[in-house]
Amino acid sequence: MTQNTLASLTGVRKRFGAVQALDGFDLAVNRGELLAVLGPNGAGKSTAISILLGLQSADQGTAELFGHPPQDIDGRRRIGVMMQEVMLPGVMRPRELMEQVASYYPTPYDVNSVIERLSLQGLLNRPYGKLSGGQKRQVQFALALVGRPELIFLDEPTVGLDVQAREALWKVVRDLKHEGCSIVLTTHYLEEAEALADRVVVMAKGKFVAGGSVNEIRAYVTRKQVSCVTRLTVDTVRSWPDVLQVEQQRDRLQISTRNAEALLVRLFREDPELSDIEVKRAGLAEAFTELTSESAQEAA
Amino acid sequence: MNAVSNMSGSRLFAAYIGEMRIEFIKALRTPAFAVPTLLFPIMFYLLFGIFMGSMRGNMNQAEVTFAAYGVFGAMGPGLFGFGVSLAIEREQGLLTLKQALPQPPGAYLLARAFMAMVFVSIISILLTLIAVFVGHVSLTLTQIVSLFAINVFGVLPFCAIGMFLGSVVSGQASPAIINIIFLPMAFLSGVILPLQILPKIFSTLAPVWPAYHQAQMALAAIGKGNGSSFYGHVAVLAGTTLLFFLLAVRRMHGSGFRLLGSRPKRALAIISATCVAVATLSMAGVFGGGPGAKEDATAATDAASSSAGTPAPDFPKGAPAPSTVEIAGFDAGTASAAYGIGWTAAGDDMRGGNSHATQQVISGGAAGSAGALEVSGELGNAIQYPFAGTMFFPEGPPMKGSMDYSSKKTLTFKARGDGRRYMLMVISGLAVDGIPLMYDFEAGPEWQEVKLDMSSYSNVDWTRVRAIGVGTMGPTGAFRFQIDDVRVE
Repeated sequence: MTQNTLASLTGVRKRFGAVQALDGFDLAVNRGELLAVLGPNGAGKSTAISILLGLQSADQGTAELFGHPPQDIDGRRRIGVMMQEVMLPGVMRPRELMEQVASYYPTPYDVNSVIERLSLQGLLNRPYGKLSGGQKRQVQFALALVGRPELIFLDEPTVGLDVQAREALWKVVRDLKHEGCSIVLTTHYLEEAEALADRVVVMAKGKFVAGGSVNEIRAYVTRKQVSCVTRLTVDTVRSWPDVLQVEQQRDRLQISTRNAEALLVRLFREDPELSDIEVKRAGLAEAFTELTSESAQEAA
Repeated sequence: MNAVSNMSGSRLFAAYIGEMRIEFIKALRTPAFAVPTLLFPIMFYLLFGIFMGSMRGNMNQAEVTFAAYGVFGAMGPGLFGFGVSLAIEREQGLLTLKQALPQPPGAYLLARAFMAMVFVSIISILLTLIAVFVGHVSLTLTQIVSLFAINVFGVLPFCAIGMFLGSVVSGQASPAIINIIFLPMAFLSGVILPLQILPKIFSTLAPVWPAYHQAQMALAAIGKGNGSSFYGHVAVLAGTTLLFFLLAVRRMHGSGFRLLGSRPKRALAIISATCVAVATLSMAGVFGGGPGAKEDATAATDAASSSAGTPAPDFPKGAPAPSTVEIAGFDAGTASAAYGIGWTAAGDDMRGGNSHATQQVISGGAAGSAGALEVSGELGNAIQYPFAGTMFFPEGPPMKGSMDYSSKKTLTFKARGDGRRYMLMVISGLAVDGIPLMYDFEAGPEWQEVKLDMSSYSNVDWTRVRAIGVGTMGPTGAFRFQIDDVRVE
């Protein structure tokens, strides 16, 4: 393991009964990066993270946190964790919870500075159980960073947050990254990954499917979106080769294709008055759907 | 970024302490836990121990009740504190999060055990205050401190049992399941009601419950045990703790929870060694020359004779009881009895104490009879179990001979006095220094009948009664009472 790899899974296999949750999965988290792990439900994201956190052990392969086995407390003293399904004790106040978690770390942040940074002042006087879902997530986020960790695991951090709170959390995440903190993000919100991630790992059926920057992931996918104003009908265009999908949106046609160049040539040939053309690469959402469905087909 | 991940010793210590503090605050703020665990022992003690004291069969002994409810108070925090919370926090993912976070190894369990011990301390202190100021329980400071320590450490086996239950049952079902164990155990182990007033089968089966062993320790600590070995009970409880702890840890590890940190084997070894050491030292106390050796030796012979109810064949029973019903009426102007050695005033001076008693036959007894026996004197505090009163030896020489009263059913007499509580004492069995039956009653200004249903006391060897005494064991100070019309029929 190099100095710059903070956490890694190597050739990890994990089976739950009949389900092969991880099937030879590799993952490396580098210093200073914000890595998003994407995948449909059942892809093995949570199993991979659980093994990295030492909550489960791999049937095969190795997991390391800062060069230690994840069960070893030394490695875990350098990470922060925000989990998706956890109910903290409802009778405790946010500050008490933060102080408790801070006490587990060698050099935590001052609790007040975290409160200020996340603007939690308004909810300090209520017990955790009386907070709204979004406020609870904010407290959980505070618990993840209060220990001044070098690596933070965030599992669906913005579920239940309103737009404003989500933007605010994103800002803190970006700031943390600028301060040198590494972050592993698992999310269903693709725009969250697009907005934050330096690197994306897509997984499906317990395997690595694709990895790279957000742009690289998009580039894996040949699909492009062509939008134009034309007199051609949906049915006509749909019959052409390499056209995957056509939709009429008011005066425009939205066409998905694997071969944008050929499509454009033919569009101009058949409708010289074609206007207002827009060619877009697929968003991460489309890329993601395509990658995982291809991998599913291969597996089948 | 700071790459140092070493915790300083003081920070680590602070983390453990903080965890204990939080567990305690959490428990206090959870009314479903704090209210019943704190109030039930107090309420039950007030109800059954104090206000309905006279309804505790004939076993109206304030000290015994107090000791028993201390054990009751130790059961709740252990069983519920570990059982319900562990079950809920296991399900709600809190335990999982704590495991991903660098919570110090074992902190969760230590903090819970500490919380349970603090709750038991509070309960014990409240019970003691009630016992002393409302129940007029007379115990020495040593006895009160011993009971406190037995309760506080006695919570540990219940913690282990609760932990095991919490590792098995669901959070929602846990309160019901734990109650199913908690209440029957309290009842069947003689904590809520004395075993003596229950059918004999209950006494026979009681030792399967850990609470029984703790109750016997508590009774032994105030000198009212059944003669069984204090250290034997310690050994049983240490074993129980270890067994359930290991079962729980095994179960939790099976579900992926490392409650003991990343080096569970080391922690397990330490805990196992502690339990085994406690059990071994206790057993050494039983068989060797430990502090319990003397009382244990008598316990062994007592157990052979009295508790089983069937005398050992090698030792003859006492002399057959005469058919005479009345032992003494004090109407002829003397303290003599129908048989045996007549009533004799007795203090504890021969045992090194400073209590003394004198007696005289006075005219005008109960129900218009000619005379009664008046005993007065002063109870001192020089020895642990002071006594002053009057003794009757049915078959001489005193304490050496014994009488077989097993064909009789009731022992009655009339008493009145200065309003203090007095004790009817029956010394029986093969060993002279076994623990006597102590049956407590109040002697007010009016004559009243004190009646002992002899068949209820299986711990008394009625085939070998050496002495019957009436007197005081506390509180210290001057006393005066009269008895009349002592009958066995």
